[in-house]
Amino acid sequence: MSELAAYVTLGFRHITDLEAMDHILFLLALAAIYRPRDWRDSLWVVTAFTVGHSVTLALAVTGALVLPTRVIEFLIPITIVATCLENLVVRDRQRALWGGRYRPVFAGVFGLVHGAGFANYLRSLFVDQIALPLFGFNLGIELGQLVVLALAAGVLAVVDRAFALATVRPGGAVLRLRVIAVSSFVALIAARWAMERSPF
Amino acid sequence: MRALVPLFMALAAHPLHTTLTQLAYRDADRSVEVTIRVFADDFRAVLARDVTDSAAAAYLRSTLTLTDRSGRPLAVVWCGMKRTGDLLWLCLRAPAPQGMRGLRVRVALLFDRYDDQINIVQAILEGRRVALLFTRGDASKPLDAPRRSG
Repeated sequence: MSELAAYVTLGFRHITDLEAMDHILFLLALAAIYRPRDWRDSLWVVTAFTVGHSVTLALAVTGALVLPTRVIEFLIPITIVATCLENLVVRDRQRALWGGRYRPVFAGVFGLVHGAGFANYLRSLFVDQIALPLFGFNLGIELGQLVVLALAAGVLAVVDRAFALATVRPGGAVLRLRVIAVSSFVALIAARWAMERSPF
Repeated sequence: MRALVPLFMALAAHPLHTTLTQLAYRDADRSVEVTIRVFADDFRAVLARDVTDSAAAAYLRSTLTLTDRSGRPLAVVWCGMKRTGDLLWLCLRAPAPQGMRGLRVRVALLFDRYDDQINIVQAILEGRRVALLFTRGDASKPLDAPRRSG
């Protein structure tokens, strides 16, 4: 195996591991508002998240930015709760700010926070050779996120089907029910994490 | 729903569990030098005692194997450790008169502690950098240069 492939595998496994529940739930919250025909929008959002993630990871790992781990650990669930609240509050995306196209921007900003999460770890381990591990790790994370996104689309389709069977309402109402159910569920879990990790 | 919350709480922590092992060939005495980077807190936890040279060497003997082309284990000797920040650097050395190509390696450090542990091995073989990854349950793997296409 080449070294690059090793680091891509490391990033991919890190994201697709069931223990990476904070990351997986964040992706589920980001994806919760999209229908199958909106797949391009969800790709943009997830890729923006990776870009943000890569930027901080690069800054923090190279020592250009030093972030206290405890604050980052607390901010990660806060970004998840914020995403869920945005899902719940913004009902009409066409009329929202920039026609609802601001989501990649906030996904990118939240990516900045998440990237700081393991920067200290990578910097310590790969102290003398950080460029290739960093690049491969981020590439693996992006690939892993695409897999998680595809699985999330499957889960959301099942939730939609369950709501469609349980109600006689038309399609738009089913989407709203799904957004409420998924966002509330994820927000509740992330809020508990935030309370547990609060540095204050 | 309420029953699920504790489950997610348990899974919330999301650290990386990795070690980095580097193999370098020493022409002077035709031996392989193995340097293992492991986080000190992980290592102390897995030893369940203070990290002394003898405890570290014994743990490595049970979790790191090097065999030659015919499957014979190399005679590995401990060559010390140092600490920089959170990281421990552990050293092993083994005679390998035929060079590193074809050696088989297995690095099972911390598999007894973390389900998601991934151990990375790096080496330079005939001028090319190669890497191996080990996860729980992996057998030993041969040290070969990657194919040109890969």
